[in-house]
Amino acid sequence: MTNQTTIHLTINGHQHELEIEPRVTLLDALRDHLGLTGTKKGCDQGQCGACTVHVDGQRVLACLTLAAQVEGRAVTTIEGLAEADGTLHAVQAAFLEQDAFQCGYCTPGQIMSAVACIREGHAGSDDEIREYMAGNLCRCGAYPHIVAAVRQAATEVAS
Amino acid sequence: MTVHITRHGDASDGTEAVGSRLSRVDGPAKITGAAKYAVEQQLDGLAYAVLIESTIAAGKVRSIDTEAAEAAPGVLTVLTPDNIPPLKTASDWLGTPPPDAPYCPLAREITFSGQHVAAVVAETFEQAVAAAALAQVSYDEVPAIVDLSDGNAGDGIPIDAMTKAWGDAEAAFAAAPVRICAAYNTPREYQAPMEPHGLIARWQGDQLTVWEPSQWLDGMARTYAEWFGVPFENVRLVSPYIGGGFGSKALALGHGAVAAIAARMLDRPVRLVMTRPQTFTGYGGRAATRQTVTIGADADGIIQSIVHRGVNETSIDGMWVEPLGSTTSIMYATPNFSSRQNVVRVNSVVPGAMRAPGENPSAFGIESAIDELAYEVGVDPLEIRLRNYAEQDPHAKKAWSTRQLREAYAAGAERFGWSKRSPKPRSMRDGNQLIGWGVAAGTYPVRRAYGEAMVRILADGSVEVESSSIDMGQGTYTILAQTAAETLGVPADNVVVKLGDSRFARAGVTGGSRLAGVMTGAVHKAASAALDELVGLAISDPRSPFHALQANTLVVTNGRITSPRGEGPEVSIAELLASVGRDRIEAKGDTMPANSTAEERYKNYTTIAMALPHTEGDYSRYSWCAHFIEVRVDEDFGTVRVSRVVSALDSGRLYNPKLAESQWKGGIIMGIGQALLEEGIVDRRHGRIVNNNLADYLVPTNADIPDIEVISVGIPDPHSSVLGGKGVGELAIVGVAPAIANAVFHATGKRIRDLPITLEKLI
Amino acid sequence: MRDFSYLRAGSVDAARQASALPGAMLLAGGTTLIDLAKCGVAEPDTLVDITHLKGLDAITVDDRGATIGALAKMSSIADHADIKSRFPAVSEALWQAASAQIRNMATIGGNLMQRTRCPYFRDRENFPACNKRTPGSGCSAIGGVTRGHAVLGTSEACIATYPGDLAVALVAFDAIVHLGDRQVQVEDFFLLPGTTPDKEHAIQQGEVITAISIPGTPAARRSTYLKVRDRQSYEFAAASAAVGIEFEADGRTIRDLRVALGGVATKPWRARAVEAALKGKVLEADVVRRASLLAMEGAVDHGANHYKIELAPRVVARAILKMGETA
Repeated sequence: MTNQTTIHLTINGHQHELEIEPRVTLLDALRDHLGLTGTKKGCDQGQCGACTVHVDGQRVLACLTLAAQVEGRAVTTIEGLAEADGTLHAVQAAFLEQDAFQCGYCTPGQIMSAVACIREGHAGSDDEIREYMAGNLCRCGAYPHIVAAVRQAATEVAS
Repeated sequence: MTVHITRHGDASDGTEAVGSRLSRVDGPAKITGAAKYAVEQQLDGLAYAVLIESTIAAGKVRSIDTEAAEAAPGVLTVLTPDNIPPLKTASDWLGTPPPDAPYCPLAREITFSGQHVAAVVAETFEQAVAAAALAQVSYDEVPAIVDLSDGNAGDGIPIDAMTKAWGDAEAAFAAAPVRICAAYNTPREYQAPMEPHGLIARWQGDQLTVWEPSQWLDGMARTYAEWFGVPFENVRLVSPYIGGGFGSKALALGHGAVAAIAARMLDRPVRLVMTRPQTFTGYGGRAATRQTVTIGADADGIIQSIVHRGVNETSIDGMWVEPLGSTTSIMYATPNFSSRQNVVRVNSVVPGAMRAPGENPSAFGIESAIDELAYEVGVDPLEIRLRNYAEQDPHAKKAWSTRQLREAYAAGAERFGWSKRSPKPRSMRDGNQLIGWGVAAGTYPVRRAYGEAMVRILADGSVEVESSSIDMGQGTYTILAQTAAETLGVPADNVVVKLGDSRFARAGVTGGSRLAGVMTGAVHKAASAALDELVGLAISDPRSPFHALQANTLVVTNGRITSPRGEGPEVSIAELLASVGRDRIEAKGDTMPANSTAEERYKNYTTIAMALPHTEGDYSRYSWCAHFIEVRVDEDFGTVRVSRVVSALDSGRLYNPKLAESQWKGGIIMGIGQALLEEGIVDRRHGRIVNNNLADYLVPTNADIPDIEVISVGIPDPHSSVLGGKGVGELAIVGVAPAIANAVFHATGKRIRDLPITLEKLI
Repeated sequence: MRDFSYLRAGSVDAARQASALPGAMLLAGGTTLIDLAKCGVAEPDTLVDITHLKGLDAITVDDRGATIGALAKMSSIADHADIKSRFPAVSEALWQAASAQIRNMATIGGNLMQRTRCPYFRDRENFPACNKRTPGSGCSAIGGVTRGHAVLGTSEACIATYPGDLAVALVAFDAIVHLGDRQVQVEDFFLLPGTTPDKEHAIQQGEVITAISIPGTPAARRSTYLKVRDRQSYEFAAASAAVGIEFEADGRTIRDLRVALGGVATKPWRARAVEAALKGKVLEADVVRRASLLAMEGAVDHGANHYKIELAPRVVARAILKMGETA
């Protein structure tokens, strides 16, 4: 093994120490090294959004982020979205209620993206939700229900 | 972590029975990231394999220089055609006995670009990827046949089984006062499930475990077993969740063989996941097709004759037939009909099943052509469909089991406001946007098969259902819970459904929209047997509190047992089991004929040879739909956007309307992609698809999709399934592309007969 | 990806020094660089991460113009209230680019360094010939699948399209790239392929983009970015136009006009012939449509991309007329 380096990651509020090569992406660090497989690998080239996580509260693509880059930043994944007692985030609950997914593979990325979309203030209308959720592909075609879920959760978050 | 969720049953009656809108029972796992997909198993000692694919479309591998790759850090082995141990050839999906010939999943003879030629296995994923880039493959290249339009492609091979004919179609066409003749083409399209294909293979002695996304665990287990010459029982397929398949994950493929071989050689579990670009060549998408449709009609648009000729591409050494005359032959009444089909060999991976194979491209032809006929004779496109309505199956000459297509036309047209349509092309606009309204119908046969399920009533009164069938988003987990709950009289919350493990009760392929009908039937049967045993115990066991009652039967409601007239005690299932000293009741049920042999059962679950024809007996069984679609076409830019969809669909009885509606909408959305965006583009010099990624092979985004309204017009169809449902998953994509093409014609006056309808075709 | 070393720059000077070493590359948002490293097109020995540098992400806007730190994210610029009001075309170009996630990662400095999406450039294994990737190896795109390729600014060595949106707006409004003390017009920062398509930017090894400035003008204030593509979102342009307009006091006569094109050229393309033809003219649909054809002066198609020659002038005309409507 060559070029291993020690990095410290803060994920869902927990500290992790990893011995990995600098070329390991955040996505592979999460899935292969930390067992946090909720974040999905759909394309590994920034074209599908399945790997969406939050870094310092902003939605980003874990497949185009090196794990080393986020040392010192707070990473949130789908596993860290619900409250510690299991209470679902409003977006998660809305996805279930609106049936905003089928196979479930794009779903963690959709939900992480939706949480950020609402926080950014880009959930003001259905058309705005569609545009600002366009970076998360869903091949099962849950889009209308995703829009409904984001709209519902945005209303709940606001109230 | 426990997850608190609110159950949403049917708002109207508060039940969770079959037919209610119960939310997905696998939903909580999927929205929290807890659902572990096949390749996400965390195994000690996992090694990582990466495929190397051919960069030529035709020729031979001259040599592979693996020295640098083998010397790269972390590399465990580099597999090539020279060092990979051969397997045995496996039987096909019909179970046809294979030739006694070796099978090598790494190719020396190259018949398409992107063929697996080598693989690197390393300690880490990063090391395997980096080492794979160091392998040098040299080739002796020969000219390739790149696609159907290649000068060397020829006319292809006639497929006699596709020939359908009655009356004298040519003569009737020649005599018809109105004649339509046009060619319709569809390109290569790709399933592009969000979860790429891949697997983890692990050997323990001669026992192979494969964690692989699969639409058919038993079929794939059979293939692995035959490849490696081990008993079927030695192979275990595990596939608890599948990240989309759309037809592409039904068969064991070469990459799986490579991983399983590597795992055996290294005596370590090996993970191999295709890169996204590899998913465009590692297995086949929908074959490119060409059809000519000629319609002869009288002046009122009544069809006298349909002559149909179709061609689809297949690979050099594989055979894929995309049945192009399937919709053509049944949608409209015609006294004279002729359909024939050829397949043409090109240097491509063998095409495969993609959502409604056959019916989908077939419908693009006939549903565009009937629209052309409507304009030719000056009849409304909806009216012409009603004038030619097929009152029985024109091909099989049998009564429809149920055909709510007339109702679909009526309900869809009403909701869409079709009567307000201005008939002339280019007659509706909003500023720069030309508006068009189009209609088209769709259909899909009811594919039926025999199923098996295990139902257990456990000591605490909860229920367990086991099946090696799968849920890739259609809702199997949910509807089987509903079926067991309804049959047994327990809340759906008390039912745990376990799927996706070939050790469970066997199941055939999840494809052709058959699974829901097959499995609800099997679960219903197994649960009925379990209920019979439960009630039997309650009535006859001397320790039962009901024993003294001398009842003929008992009822179970909401998990509690009572007599029908309410006399005597009321006890919970758990209490009853405790009283009679049982820790469980277990019933494995199947819907196969009672005298079926073990060999027949094996064949039923591991091949498709025992599927029941949809025209068996007195009836012809199909699902039906009608799509009403509005498009807006920018008159300067040629861009087409779908702005409104109303679809009315007949899938018979819906086991769970909430989930069925989702599947329908998903099919419609994939149809929008097919109509406007999706096309594998081949570099003709290299015979290679160049847009092999999700930025260049465009699937719809959220922004491309308007709100979609779906209306169920189905009625229970007792001839199609035990509980009255027909197929859901494939139906809704059929007819979307022609509805959009018809709407584009209405908007612009331009008839686009080549999919996708991209802006340069309209500019 | 090939193995590489990773280091974090503590200051701009440190970044400059580290990136001057052979094989070193600056890493900002990573949306181009990590992607190309995965394709094997970028093969850095060392990545110098500058995303943790402080103070390089400021956005300041006043009457003279806007100055945007190189590490400002595409999303923050797109959503910045003063950018939206004073440079609408810049905001619109940004929010129509890529996806929300990518815009949260990509920096404005990195955005200028974005590289072409030519499929032949991106696939080293299957298409060894690419003059941009390997000088002198040839061009696989010419004679191949060219639907997305450029019709303007091409050469016999390269027809790869510049894929970005933001720089199209920047070129329209005479923005300047700050490389520390050195300043370069954005229009000059992008190089035509000519015989050296591997040289894309007027930046030297060891230079660091520190900021972009955009002069405040009435045309920038009344501006728009119109992007036409097959898919409604998350796709590169088939053709796009950044247009800014200033009218005389009569509200009809064009005093100043800025037009730049995206998706059709090998670099962000200023259409000065269109500007010249319309300055001093009264804005009328026919006149605008005719003048917009001048945007395609010198255009050469390679078969499947011919439609761009038809499409781009229509995009320009629509954008100009849209700006007129809001007079």
